[in-house]
Amino acid sequence: MRLLSRDDWYEISHDLDWTLSYVEESDAFPAEWTGSSGVPKAAWQAWEEPFRVSYRDYVAVQREKEAGVAGVRDALKRAHIYEHLDPAVAAISHFHMGALCMVEQMAVTMLGRFARFAPSPRWRNISVFGMLDELRHAQLQLSFSHDLLKHDPRFDWCQKAFHTNEWGILAIRNFCDDWLLNANCVDAALAVHLTLEHGFTNMQFVALAADAMEAGDIGFSNLLSSIQTDEARHAQQGFPTLEILMKHDSQRAQRVIDVSFWRAFRLFQAMTGTAMDYYTPVDKRKMSFKEFMLEWVVDQHERTLRDYGLQRPWYWETFLKCLDHGHHALHLGMWFWRPTLFWKPNAGVSRAERQWLNSKYPDWEESWGVLWDEIIRNINNGDMAKTLPDTLPALCNLTQLPIGTHWDRHHLERCESTYNGRTYYFDSDVSKWCFDLEPARYAGHLNVVDRFVAGLIQPPNLAGALAWMSITPEVMGDDVYDYRWAAEFNRPAARDT
Amino acid sequence: MVMVPIYGRFIGDFTAHLVAVDTEDTIADVAAKIAAHSVCRRLPAQSAGSYEVLIDGRLIPPEVRVTQLSLRPLHWIDVRWKR
Repeated sequence: MRLLSRDDWYEISHDLDWTLSYVEESDAFPAEWTGSSGVPKAAWQAWEEPFRVSYRDYVAVQREKEAGVAGVRDALKRAHIYEHLDPAVAAISHFHMGALCMVEQMAVTMLGRFARFAPSPRWRNISVFGMLDELRHAQLQLSFSHDLLKHDPRFDWCQKAFHTNEWGILAIRNFCDDWLLNANCVDAALAVHLTLEHGFTNMQFVALAADAMEAGDIGFSNLLSSIQTDEARHAQQGFPTLEILMKHDSQRAQRVIDVSFWRAFRLFQAMTGTAMDYYTPVDKRKMSFKEFMLEWVVDQHERTLRDYGLQRPWYWETFLKCLDHGHHALHLGMWFWRPTLFWKPNAGVSRAERQWLNSKYPDWEESWGVLWDEIIRNINNGDMAKTLPDTLPALCNLTQLPIGTHWDRHHLERCESTYNGRTYYFDSDVSKWCFDLEPARYAGHLNVVDRFVAGLIQPPNLAGALAWMSITPEVMGDDVYDYRWAAEFNRPAARDT
Repeated sequence: MVMVPIYGRFIGDFTAHLVAVDTEDTIADVAAKIAAHSVCRRLPAQSAGSYEVLIDGRLIPPEVRVTQLSLRPLHWIDVRWKR
């Protein structure tokens, strides 16, 4: 019998639903899970899929993608590509795998929640495909890392990282627990599909893929590109949700997008900003982090806001200024606290690299170069103890990232709120604003410093903190080039650059 | 003698630090403890430079002891080069 074509049956099947008789609607679809408070049930009938797909179509396309990735993977294994990579480029994949693989797995849970609880049957149906996408992404990154585990134990952190207390992973997990695992369907769709995936994943999966390809990490580049084809598709699910919410509760839409945009930006400053502007070899960089942000994130986000009748966030001018600095602060912090990392950071401040940084960020030398100068002096004097931390940095109670890393050292201001008798500190007035909007959402959580002070990390010293973070000697971070780059600053000419 | 954890920021550095001070420490001791995480690590030393301490925007004399202040855990303390 000839199979029907998709268009023959799609209109009947895509909003399959029925009237509940054994349970109350509010029990089967609690508002806390659906997020549909304030939106009449009938309004969700207008939720239209931004793309059409059947299971048969989906499997056929995904099978081809998988075959493509597998082909490249096998060819690269035979060519021993990984063994010949620049160590700083390899470090990007260690960092990426640990930081993002389990985010994909958390997205499976989020999309599973949409498939069960989303307030529209069309949304529920199409979320099944997104769930399969995210399963593929997590499994791809695990299998890629498994292949490379024999070359470096850091690839074990692809699976392990999210089961540790490594401070950077805790920052990512905090965001994901909040928005992927605990938010209702409507809020999660705006924060994750619209903001994180549509807004930011281009940074990690397009920009980084291009840089990785240029730097010879073909397998990693191919993996990222394959994942992004799925992300670009299912991220569109956020648009019909936004369209409906704008008609019934535009203030809520504005709040969710503004809060999640800032929080996502802070994480991408740490992950992609450092990889693009410091780890990628300078002659292989296609764009700076700021240039890519302006072209791929800022313009796109502004257009989305405008098209749907939203305002730019009140912190927009601050955000634009932070593009010049925040990732440099995070990079310096990560390099200085390098024993707390599970990858080897590249300082990326050789003479040639500084020249590039100054050409892209005119204030770099005055804001950051002077701090690196002191570090370089200590390295060249053999005073390595002074290039390493003796304590923990102050951490933000919202983003979990070091205070002072959203902008530059001239804009480090004390930001705090008191709630139920406890003082909470923030990296910026924007993070404070997020907290003050919904203090009960965040209050009570202990960041790494709070846990240290509470005696939850023993012994209470840096060694105790490293053990608590599961950092072991074979993965502990150290300068990826073993400080060789600093030697050129011993020569007098270095002072003229 | 009781240890008090505070957040110490040396003005000019890019972050603040968790610093353990003692109730018997003078403000001059506190300044030195905070500066130790920034000066000669990321900020160059200043010859003949000395520090001054600000708590909640007020300049605190160097001889004052921590026990004389009402510091709460993780109180924010700023240190800068003496002007």
